[in-house]
Amino acid sequence: MLLGERETPDGVECNKGQEKNNMKMRRVFLPWLFAVIAVVFSINVAGATETDAPGMVTPTSVNAAGVAETDLTDMVPPTITIDQTELNNGGIIKVTGKAPAGQPVFLEVWAEGRSVRASRFDKDVDKETGKRPYIFYITKEMPAYYKIFVPTELQSKIDEEQKQGGKWSVSRLLKDLGADAAYNVPAKAQIDRHQSTLMASIIGSRGALLPVMDAKENKKRSMQLVKTRFRSLDKVFGADIDVKPDGTYSAEIKIRKGLAPGEYKIMTVVGKETKSQAVTFENKISFPTMYLANAGTSMNLIYPFFLTLAVAIFGVLMGAGGGFILNPLLVTLFPVLPHTVVAGTVTPTVLFSQGSGIFNYSKINFISWKLGCGIGVSMILGALIGPKLTEMITLDQFKFAFGWILLVLAALMFWQTTPGYLAKNKKEQAILKEFKRRAEESSKGKN
Amino acid sequence: MKVVFWEQEFTVNMFVGCVGGFLIAVMSSMFGFGGGPFMVPLMTVALRLPMYLVVGSSLLAIFFNTSISSLRHYQFGNFDLLFFLAMFPAALLGGYIGPQIAKRVSPTVVKRVACTGLVILAIKLLGFF
Repeated sequence: MLLGERETPDGVECNKGQEKNNMKMRRVFLPWLFAVIAVVFSINVAGATETDAPGMVTPTSVNAAGVAETDLTDMVPPTITIDQTELNNGGIIKVTGKAPAGQPVFLEVWAEGRSVRASRFDKDVDKETGKRPYIFYITKEMPAYYKIFVPTELQSKIDEEQKQGGKWSVSRLLKDLGADAAYNVPAKAQIDRHQSTLMASIIGSRGALLPVMDAKENKKRSMQLVKTRFRSLDKVFGADIDVKPDGTYSAEIKIRKGLAPGEYKIMTVVGKETKSQAVTFENKISFPTMYLANAGTSMNLIYPFFLTLAVAIFGVLMGAGGGFILNPLLVTLFPVLPHTVVAGTVTPTVLFSQGSGIFNYSKINFISWKLGCGIGVSMILGALIGPKLTEMITLDQFKFAFGWILLVLAALMFWQTTPGYLAKNKKEQAILKEFKRRAEESSKGKN
Repeated sequence: MKVVFWEQEFTVNMFVGCVGGFLIAVMSSMFGFGGGPFMVPLMTVALRLPMYLVVGSSLLAIFFNTSISSLRHYQFGNFDLLFFLAMFPAALLGGYIGPQIAKRVSPTVVKRVACTGLVILAIKLLGFF
């Protein structure tokens, strides 16, 4: 708040004792701040080594176990051809080919080079034990784009699952569609799971790393992560394949705008053993659209620039930072951005204006270091927990909570425009100006 | 706790200050904003401190919050450099342009506009329409 408060100091007097006292205060607290930052960094390093070590024992043969018995053996692998190998920020690709007659055909499409993080906090009651597991699942190997295409006849099954609303499930739908064999790439992603505890959350770790899951469990959990990552059903499933009775099939695959650039692969799957070669196409993007690696999406960066500019100006006029307007706007206007990335990137943006504000006030000795640091220490504790919670909640919960926060804020703002408050504020502002003038005079006198 | 500021002594109820500060910090770092609009009312209303003491000190308090939560978000991989580079210059530019317009508009009007905007945004987030 109150950025850009820069007025030229003029005057003479200086209060020496006060000055000394505050300087001392500053010297006491600065090392404190560094100590805290050092602690946070060391936790970061510790966390990194902790997660690295068990990576050695990644399961290698994910798909190997128990394959052959369910499948029709000795089928000719399906063929696949695509009409173009290059897209410019999305587009339509026509896929044609021939599969064994009378079989349902599935297409698995994924971004090969670019992967993103996906995480899920499991706090649902376990049906067997009746307890809440509080396990945090995270993978860094979720493809930035993933979709399974099924024959058009199966549209009704997708619609049925759509009726479940937010409770739709990847595994249930795969079973209904008979498309289990087409689900391969995310199943191989290495998923870490952490046993979360309240204490671990406070000190900053994700909790103790649990043993690596077996292939089957890994696959099951990866389906839940697919849901948290892609959020809506129609992003993961589409019924677009037209299959003729003789086994020839064709499909028009629509690649949305704002997806990751790079290599994509398409594979035709009929059964667990009956798959085509993967064909490759390339999605290209050009400036000002750029790929945001942590968000896993590409985006025209001109829009957020002007949005931030407008909000920052408005924030100055209002006398507040503006982060609380920018965040919900970004989340609503750009649904491609995960809320964690929005929160994590806006926070450092306001850091600079706060820093310059503090610098300007400290020049004229207008900060009570004791009071600021006293409350600041309790805020450090809160700041350690908050970002952890962002990671644990879903987008819907984020929106819901933020909605209520904004309502409270709107009430606060409204209260600040009521006549009673304005009258009181006028007096306060007059005193504020008077004190500031004195402060500037004394700091001028010192120089 | 006693705080001396410009030769005046204030008694601050640190229990209320710290609990309030903690809650504001959790909330603001979770949702990624500064926390100033909550911190100033906390210090003026709940702690009964005068505005001239609050302006600088609240800024210092939320600076702690914002710097630590930035580090934490970075640690969890929530920070996107390119996205940051798109927004940061805009925020700086806004910080320069803002004060020049500020003299010409009444803060009360701005606050009323903000108030309406916030309610609309809140309703949108809560999914009422």
